[in-house]
Amino acid sequence: MSVSSQPENRKASKPLHSTSPGELQLVSFHLGSEEFCLDILRVQEIIRLPQLTRVPNSPYAMDGVMNLRGKIIPVIALRKAFALDRLAHDKQSRIVVIETNGSQFGFIVDSVSEVLRIPADTVAPPPQIGRRRQDYVSGIGKFENRLLILLDIERLLTTDGMLGGAAPPA
Amino acid sequence: MTNELSQDPSLVRDFLVESEELLQQMDQDMVALEAAPRDAELLNRIFRGMHTIKGTSGFLGFDPVVQLSHRTEDVLNALRRGEAQMDRRCMDALLAARDQLGTMLRDIEQGGLKTYHLDPLLAELHEAQRRCAASPPLGEILVKRDVITPGTLGALLHEQAASPEPRRLGEMVVKKGLATPVEVGDALVRQKEVAESAAAAQTMRVDAHKLDELINLIGELVLERNRLVQLSRDCSLGKLAHADLDSFLGQSSARLSFITDELQSAGLKTRMVPIETIFRRFPRLVRDVARNLQKEVRLVIQGEDTELDKSMVELIGDPLVHLVRNSLDHGLETPELREKSGKPRQGTIRLEASQEGDQIVIRISDDGAGIDPDRIGRKAIEKGLVSAERLRLLSVKEILDFIFLPGFSTAEKASDLSGRGVGMDVVRSNLKKLNGSVDIETHLGAGTTVRLRLPLTLAILPVLLVQVANEIYALPLRSVVETAQVDLRHVHRLEQSQVLRLRDETLPLIQLSQLFHTEPVSECLPGSADRAFSRKVVILSVGEKRVALLVDHLIGQESTVVKPLGSYLHGCPSLAGATISGDGRVRLVLDPAGLLAASKTASEIGRKATA
Repeated sequence: MSVSSQPENRKASKPLHSTSPGELQLVSFHLGSEEFCLDILRVQEIIRLPQLTRVPNSPYAMDGVMNLRGKIIPVIALRKAFALDRLAHDKQSRIVVIETNGSQFGFIVDSVSEVLRIPADTVAPPPQIGRRRQDYVSGIGKFENRLLILLDIERLLTTDGMLGGAAPPA
Repeated sequence: MTNELSQDPSLVRDFLVESEELLQQMDQDMVALEAAPRDAELLNRIFRGMHTIKGTSGFLGFDPVVQLSHRTEDVLNALRRGEAQMDRRCMDALLAARDQLGTMLRDIEQGGLKTYHLDPLLAELHEAQRRCAASPPLGEILVKRDVITPGTLGALLHEQAASPEPRRLGEMVVKKGLATPVEVGDALVRQKEVAESAAAAQTMRVDAHKLDELINLIGELVLERNRLVQLSRDCSLGKLAHADLDSFLGQSSARLSFITDELQSAGLKTRMVPIETIFRRFPRLVRDVARNLQKEVRLVIQGEDTELDKSMVELIGDPLVHLVRNSLDHGLETPELREKSGKPRQGTIRLEASQEGDQIVIRISDDGAGIDPDRIGRKAIEKGLVSAERLRLLSVKEILDFIFLPGFSTAEKASDLSGRGVGMDVVRSNLKKLNGSVDIETHLGAGTTVRLRLPLTLAILPVLLVQVANEIYALPLRSVVETAQVDLRHVHRLEQSQVLRLRDETLPLIQLSQLFHTEPVSECLPGSADRAFSRKVVILSVGEKRVALLVDHLIGQESTVVKPLGSYLHGCPSLAGATISGDGRVRLVLDPAGLLAASKTASEIGRKATA
C-alpha cells in the first residue's frame, strides 16, 4: 500500500468534486486527539456554531436545534455521541451539516482540518476491537502518517440511542 | 343464459339472499372506501364479496351477472394489489356496477334475468382500471398488448436480472426480434401516459378570483421592491438626509409588512376547498346505514361552504365517517324505543361546519340516547384503566375522555359498523396531526355532540412569547385565555400536582422545570416565606379545560411560520413544533394539550412513587 502525498498547489488544479476512480475525497475534522473523515459528497456545508435552542427530553447526544436558512435542523454533539468528555465550544468549533434521506443534520466537531484526496486502496477495514464506535467506522485510512477514521454517517444516525434514547452509561 | 341448476328454487333463493347481503355490505364499504381509499380491509372485503357473487352466479349460469361481477372484480383486484389508485370516476363506476348487480338480482327474484345493455358500464370499468393504474412496468404493457407472451417475458426478466450490466427490457425485446421498435416505442409512450395521470392526482382546482388576488398582491410587492431599490440607490449616492432615510425606511417596512401578510393569507386561501367535498358523501351513507340498522334518520347539513385547507380534507374524512357511524349505531335509538321515550320516531343527525375566529369547528350531533358516563366508568375499571376510588374523583368530562383510548369500546358486540374500538383514538390522533382537537358533549337521553376544532391555516401561528428560566417559548395565541399575576400563596398541593386558585376557579398549575427536567429558577413552594410571592401565569385553554402555566416573563406577541420538528423528538409531546423568531433564533412552540397530559403523567408518577 502506498501513501501518496499531495501538495497544496496540485490539489488546487483539479475541479472540486471530481475524483478519479479509486480515489476518495474527504473532509477531515478533529474530535479530541483523533482525526475523523467524511465523504465530501455527504457534506452539505460547514458553519460556525450559531445559537442553539435546547429541546427538552431530546436524545442525549442532541445539543439542540438551529435555524439553517429557514429550516430547523437537529444538531448532534459528536463528542457526546462518542462518549468523550464534554468540551466547551471555542472559536474552532464547527458544525458539519450533512444531508441524508431528505433531511439535514448538523454535527458539532472540535475543528475542521481540510479536504483531502486519498486513494481508495489506502483504506483498511476497521480493526475488530470491542468498542461501540466501531459500528459506524467504515474504515481507517492512512495519509501522511496520519490515521484517518472514516465515519459512516448514516450508520451513526440510525444507531440505537443516537437520535432516541437516554444517555449512554458514563 | 341460464342452466338447469337455476331451475331449482331453493338454490336460487339461497343465492339471492347471500348475494343481496353481500351487495348491501359492499354498498356501505364502497362509500366508506371513498373516504379511505387505501383501507386494505375494506378493499379486501369488497373484493371477496364480488368474487363470491361471481362464483355462485357462474355456478347457476347467470351469465350477465358473471360478466359484470368479473369485470368489477378485476378493478377491485388491481386496487387491492396496489396496482391502481382510486379516483372519483373509478368509484362511480364501482357503485354503478354494484347497483346494476342489485337490479339484476331483483329481476331474477321477480321472474328472470332480462337483457341488459352492459357495454357502456363494462367499458367504463375497464377504462377506470386502465386509467387508475399506477405506472405499469414495460414488460406488462407488452404482454397486455399481446406483443410478447408471459412466458417470454418471464425468460427475458430472468436474463435481465442475470446480466452483469444493466440492460433495458425494451432493447432486449427488439434485439431478439420479438417486437418491432414501433411496438416498443408505443408501449413506452403508454407507460409515460399512465405515470403522468397518476401525478395529476396532486392537482387541485382553484377559484380564478383567488389567483387574481394573488397576482394583484404580487404587483404591489413589485412596486414596493422598486421603492426600496430606489431608496438604496439614493442612500448610497448620498442624496438622503438621515431623517428622511429614517422615515422612508419606516414607511417601506410598514407597507412591506402589510403586503406580506396579505400575500401569505391569499396564498393559503388558494389551497382552501369548501368542506362540502367531504360532506357530500354523507347523505347516501346515512341513508344506507340507517336502512341497514332499521332506524329512521334525517341528516341535516349546515355550513357546507365553509372552507378549509385541502390537505386537511383527507385527514378529517375518516374521523367524520366514524363519528357519524357512531351516532347511527350507538347514539340513535330504534324508532320503537324513541316512541316509548316520547321522542319522534325519526332521529336527527346534524353535520355543521362553521368558522369561529381562527378555527374551523365541525359539529356532529344527534338527538339520540347520549353517552352514559357510568357505563364508560365501569368499562374503564374493567379494563384496568382506573381504580374505583379514582373514578369517583373524576369529572364527567374526564370520564368521557376514556372513550379516546385505543381499544376502548362499550358496544356489547362489535357490529360491523363500529364498536371495534379502533375509531376514537384514530379520530383524536388525526385531529392532533392537524393541530386540532376533539371534545364530546353529551346529555343522557337527549343526545350527543362531538366537536372537532381545526386551525384555519396550518402554517401561520400567532403566538405569545414567554420566558421561563433562560429559555423563550412560544404559546399558540388561540389557546391563551389570559395572563395574570398571581400570589404563590394561592397554590396548593392536591395529591402530587399543584393547583392554583384564581378567582373562583381551581386550575392545575404547570411548571416547565418539572416537565422538562431543567433547573427551576425559583422554586414554587407554597408557604416558602423567603420568595417574592408574586409571579406571572398564562391561563391556557385545552378543549373545555383550563390550565395555568407558570412563567417568568411575558415577551410579546408574534405571528410566525410554524415548522415541524422532525421525528427525532418522540420524547416530547408537549412540543407542537418550532418557529423562527424575528431575530433568527429557533423558538419551541408548546402544545397546551400536550403540556396538560404530561403534567398529569408527572403527577401520576409522583403519586405512585409516594403510594
